[in-house]
Amino acid sequence: MPKIENKPTRREVTQTGLALIAAAALPRKAKAELPETPAFRHEVAGGKLPKIEERIPLEPAVAELDSIGTPGGELRMLMAGPKDTRMMVVYGYARLVGYTPSLALAPDIVKSIDVENGRVFTLHLRKGHKWSDGHPFTSEDFRYWFEDVAQNKYLSSSGMPISMMPEREGPRFEVLDETTVRYEWTRPNPLFLPDLAGPSPLFIYRPAHYLKQFHQKYADKAMLETLIKQANQRNWAALHNKFDTMYRDDNPDLPSLEPWILKTRPPSDRFVFERNPYYYRIDPAGNQLPYIDRVILSIADSKIIPAKTGAGESDLQARYLRFDNYTFLKESEQRNDFKVRLWRTGPGSQLALYPNLNVNDEIWEGLLHDLRFRRALSLAVDRHEINQVIYFGLAIEGQNTLLPQSPLYEPKYRSAWAQFDLHEANRLLDLIGLTERGSDGTRQLPDGRPMEIIVEDSGESTEQSDVLELIRDSWRRIGIKLFAKPSQLTLFRRRVFSGETLMSIDKGMENGLATAAMSPRELAPTSQQQLEWPKWGQYYETKGIAGEPPNLPSAIGLKELYEEWLAAASNEEHTRIWHDMLQIWASEVFSIGTVAGVLQPVVVNAKLRNVPEQGIYNWDPGAFFGVYKPDGFWFDLSEASAKSTSITPSPPAPR
Amino acid sequence: MTDLLFAGDSPRERAGGSTTKTIFPLSHYVSDAPFDPYALERMTPAQERFYMASEWRMVWWKLRRHRIAVLSGAILFTMYLSILFCEFLAPYDLDARNTDFIYAPPQRVRVFDQGQLVWPFVYGYDYRLDMSNLERVYSLNPDKPEPIRFFCHSSKYRFWGMFESDLHLICPALGRQLFLAGTDRLGRDLLSRMIYGARISLTIGLLGVAVSFTLGILIGGIAGYYGGWTDIIVQRAIEVVQSFPHLPLWMALSAILPVSWSPVLVYIGITLILGMIEWTHLARAVRSKLLALREEDFCTAAVLMGARPARIIGRHLLPSFMSHLIASATLMIPGMILGETALSFLGLGLRPPMTSWGVLLNEAQNINVVALYPWLMLPVACIVITVLAFNFFGDGLRDAADPYH
Amino acid sequence: MLSYLIHRILIMIPTLIAISVVIFTIINLPPGDYFSTYIAELQSSGESADLAKIAFLKAQYGFDRPLWAQYIFWVGGLLRGDMGYSFAYNLPVNQVVGDRLLMTVIVSFATILFTYIVAFPIGVYSATHQYSWTDHALTLLGLLGLATPSFLLALVLLYFANVYFGISIGGLMDPQYVNRAWSFGKAVSVAAHLWIPIIVIGTAGTASMIRRLRANLLDELQKQYVVTARAKGLHPFKLLFKYPLRMALNPFISDIGSLLPHVISGAAIVSVVMSLPTTGPMLLDALRSQDMYLAGSFLMFMAFLTVVGVFVSDIALAILDPRIRLQAGRRQ
Repeated sequence: MPKIENKPTRREVTQTGLALIAAAALPRKAKAELPETPAFRHEVAGGKLPKIEERIPLEPAVAELDSIGTPGGELRMLMAGPKDTRMMVVYGYARLVGYTPSLALAPDIVKSIDVENGRVFTLHLRKGHKWSDGHPFTSEDFRYWFEDVAQNKYLSSSGMPISMMPEREGPRFEVLDETTVRYEWTRPNPLFLPDLAGPSPLFIYRPAHYLKQFHQKYADKAMLETLIKQANQRNWAALHNKFDTMYRDDNPDLPSLEPWILKTRPPSDRFVFERNPYYYRIDPAGNQLPYIDRVILSIADSKIIPAKTGAGESDLQARYLRFDNYTFLKESEQRNDFKVRLWRTGPGSQLALYPNLNVNDEIWEGLLHDLRFRRALSLAVDRHEINQVIYFGLAIEGQNTLLPQSPLYEPKYRSAWAQFDLHEANRLLDLIGLTERGSDGTRQLPDGRPMEIIVEDSGESTEQSDVLELIRDSWRRIGIKLFAKPSQLTLFRRRVFSGETLMSIDKGMENGLATAAMSPRELAPTSQQQLEWPKWGQYYETKGIAGEPPNLPSAIGLKELYEEWLAAASNEEHTRIWHDMLQIWASEVFSIGTVAGVLQPVVVNAKLRNVPEQGIYNWDPGAFFGVYKPDGFWFDLSEASAKSTSITPSPPAPR
Repeated sequence: MTDLLFAGDSPRERAGGSTTKTIFPLSHYVSDAPFDPYALERMTPAQERFYMASEWRMVWWKLRRHRIAVLSGAILFTMYLSILFCEFLAPYDLDARNTDFIYAPPQRVRVFDQGQLVWPFVYGYDYRLDMSNLERVYSLNPDKPEPIRFFCHSSKYRFWGMFESDLHLICPALGRQLFLAGTDRLGRDLLSRMIYGARISLTIGLLGVAVSFTLGILIGGIAGYYGGWTDIIVQRAIEVVQSFPHLPLWMALSAILPVSWSPVLVYIGITLILGMIEWTHLARAVRSKLLALREEDFCTAAVLMGARPARIIGRHLLPSFMSHLIASATLMIPGMILGETALSFLGLGLRPPMTSWGVLLNEAQNINVVALYPWLMLPVACIVITVLAFNFFGDGLRDAADPYH
Repeated sequence: MLSYLIHRILIMIPTLIAISVVIFTIINLPPGDYFSTYIAELQSSGESADLAKIAFLKAQYGFDRPLWAQYIFWVGGLLRGDMGYSFAYNLPVNQVVGDRLLMTVIVSFATILFTYIVAFPIGVYSATHQYSWTDHALTLLGLLGLATPSFLLALVLLYFANVYFGISIGGLMDPQYVNRAWSFGKAVSVAAHLWIPIIVIGTAGTASMIRRLRANLLDELQKQYVVTARAKGLHPFKLLFKYPLRMALNPFISDIGSLLPHVISGAAIVSVVMSLPTTGPMLLDALRSQDMYLAGSFLMFMAFLTVVGVFVSDIALAILDPRIRLQAGRRQ
């Protein structure tokens, strides 16, 4: 698998609309040559399932694989709760448009997309593509969603998803024929394709033939009443919602396009997913994917999952494993048949401090708005110590910004105000005028109170309190006292949103691998969820109904740049805007990053192939394993693999 | 006088029969001392101490016979005493960390260096970073003996928050390390943290029991004394509280402790929560005892003399079984300590940066520790010893509590 | 006697009502509700919340109505036998609880059996050989289980059972038997996994039982009739079993009623650590995420069990112990 170090190919967008052709450019095999999937041979012979040629689309997607595999086998994974069945949709990663490992957008379920001016999107589906129950997947499924779900006031009381409504304007939807649909906006919508490719994607289609029986418009009234009573729901909308769980994936009857289909009816502690007979991807040799016949998710308490993984109960595990489990897992390798790899995580910073610019306390607000103060705080964080103590020196020190793997990366963004310079930090603080100190050396606020910063965290892991311990000692040397206050998730967020929290600690920038085509929304005040400016973000989200408008010129500038990005259509413009925003972001230090690129242990069964040795483990983009397409993973049960000594990858050299 | 009695006055003599010849005077000792009506009741000093002993003294004597209870009592006393001096006893500060010695295994104290008896020392560490396993590998080097210093000067602290001192009972050799219980993931000495943690863990038990005690006596006393409707209502209330599983009650009550509270307030809140749930047993015992005792004569006498109920309960009824109550209370303390541990485990009780044994165990609750760094589970030993000590002591107290038995 | 029974039954009703109010208050005490917690969780992991769906469920179950209305709604459902809907599992509560209840009963039953089997001989021996070194040693053993925090013990035992015996970590059976019908292999697997939870949960209970039995037996052994019997030459063993022990067993029988819910919830922590498919972890999760119906209805169920259990054991005791019947009669 190609490493992410490569810069992605540019997405070509022209006035006339060049099509994006997927790697389906390989010559099509003659139909008669397609091998039947071994798991279904019996059923095909007995007439229960049609032959392979009738199950896959006329033009199936051909996967790019490191090695051709043999079908068969069972993949076991460990999850922490019944809600985690959604991970099969995340890992399965069957998307209309998806990211490649080099983070370029490529059509996946659709055969091709025509993009015009960034505002007109014509999707070409694959002829003969069927749902997992054999029913054809056509434009009717898109129409059903657009007209009968998204615009139905009972089913979608808050309207269409945000990414379909730039400037509050929805698209014009057209069905051109059975396999072609078109979405047209009056202005460019650069959020549309990235959202379709997301880990928790924008689903603009539904299995209409299945869901119509729950819809008021299509179902027989008496039948609907019976179904409502049977399912113990209040009305038809609730009924429809209950069975329409495309993302959560807990309804075994719901047809799907994913490689593995749920077979176990909840509740259960063990969910079995079996291969989709109508899956649309094949390998270059013509075998229908996925290779693996069955995926089994076992539910266990999240704290015990590292122990269970170490006991060999999982064939592919990264979720719920942390960096500090590596040593234990490595020792367990000797007793079990797996190997531990180390991938890099994608957030811009593993943990970052967020000074709350909307804090209620006026004096603190004034201080936090002062650029020099934020810079001083950042200079007084000993990132090298944090790296050495907690991450064995293997993480990348720096600010909360893009990672080197991103094409937009520049070293100056990462190193801005990130060196450990107590002298300079003290000088800046003195410059602001905070020269008064108490008897224990703590500086004093203008009104005489000692400078005590209470940093709240969501109480989720000891990592946060450890980092705060380390920062506390170095901040003491510039005269600032740090108190760590563990809290509880909902309370923590509520306090930040309402301005009661002075400073918080949380994960850094979600998307540290951004390309110019991805949204820079994290750099601008766009959402209440942003801990550094919740009220400004809320203002933007609610279009002025709630929250406060930003009053810091740099923040206003970022917001305007973001809106420019939304209106831009060309890649050059997007790139330029990104760099402008990154520049401001680096200089303003709105969040204080620590280290990034922390290593993530990934446990892989020794016989499992096509799993990259080195990779990126990230939510968006990446969908954890999704972007590496687990449908191409296979079990090598041959003698040769048992005898060969697989090279145990050693961790990357410390930086 | 005896002569008068026998001189010819016996009916046998008057009847003319023969009598046995009596010899006068009879050979028995007669005291010349004046008659003392209390002679039989007076005791020697030794006897007086024994018979006139107060109830508590008798309890103490009976307790002394129970050797294990005495031993446990001594252990507990030492532990509580150490709370007062933890800064002096601990070799390192609560927050002192040494980033060069993360996850270091414990060093054993030795007195024999190459066969010779020397001043107590430990072997120094040799440290290597294993990059293939991402492990810090420590080995103790016999060529680096580091003598331990006693009553030495080390890090500064404020004794009882009042005066500064830097005297420690035990410290490492100058510039060296002394990790008798190993270190944790930030390089903090576990032994020092255990000593500081005792402060909170041991006192939470006491405070919680105090709360339970007060509640139990109050409610049980009222119910037992008044009887009737009060009794019925209280009994139902007790039933409600007892039939309620503890866990959700703890969780809910801990969840409502405001996050904005300082650690001290949280601590007090936790003790209140623990105390509020355990009072029912005590209340029941008090109630049943009172129901029986209030029929006794001394109680009736007090009522007739015009004493108010509070006085009767407090001054007359309760003291008669106070020893029982104290024994029960002592046996509740380990439950409190374990409760605090459980709450910390669930993430509801105390959290870092506060240090208690429960918090230390919570940090040890993962597979890394069990498999690779088992010394981090040592606080279990503290808890086990404390709980056992309280149990044996309480058992001894209860056996001794009824000295008239 | 009959009026005593009726009296007790009538009293159960206000008790249950009081309990339901307490449960409802307690679950709703922490700020927020299931939906806000769920939304916050999703947002903190970067997933977009299906806000429409959530607003939907909220309205459907009346979470936008005032608290007292929600209470009435819930109680009304309970009286009809409808335990409500669990949002975390997206299923009715009956379904979620039902499967786990069987496992819980198995674990609890086995634990209680273990407790009795261990506590009984130790208690009897302790009482008859008071203050001997064996007495101390045995009591120490019993107390050791009580003193060690169960969660740590569970984790350590799990790890060593896996390393030395190859037993899969956590759960009550090997993964391949989950959801399958009962078979010999499944039963063996369950037995192999069962001994750790039994030891960890059971040892905490043995200590108190030992102490109770010992205290009661000691009281009995000092009574006059024992001295008389021994003077008359009755064999000590026969003496022990025929008279004092039966008296000392009284509290055991009266405790059975309240023992079961205690074991069910007391095992919650250990079940969480060991990831057992019992009701403990389910309850804990429900309380944490404020899944109102799952937590509340299940707690009501357990409280109901306790109240009924106490009632039943009181009746049993009244039948067993004539003194109580007499007292009840006298009170009338």
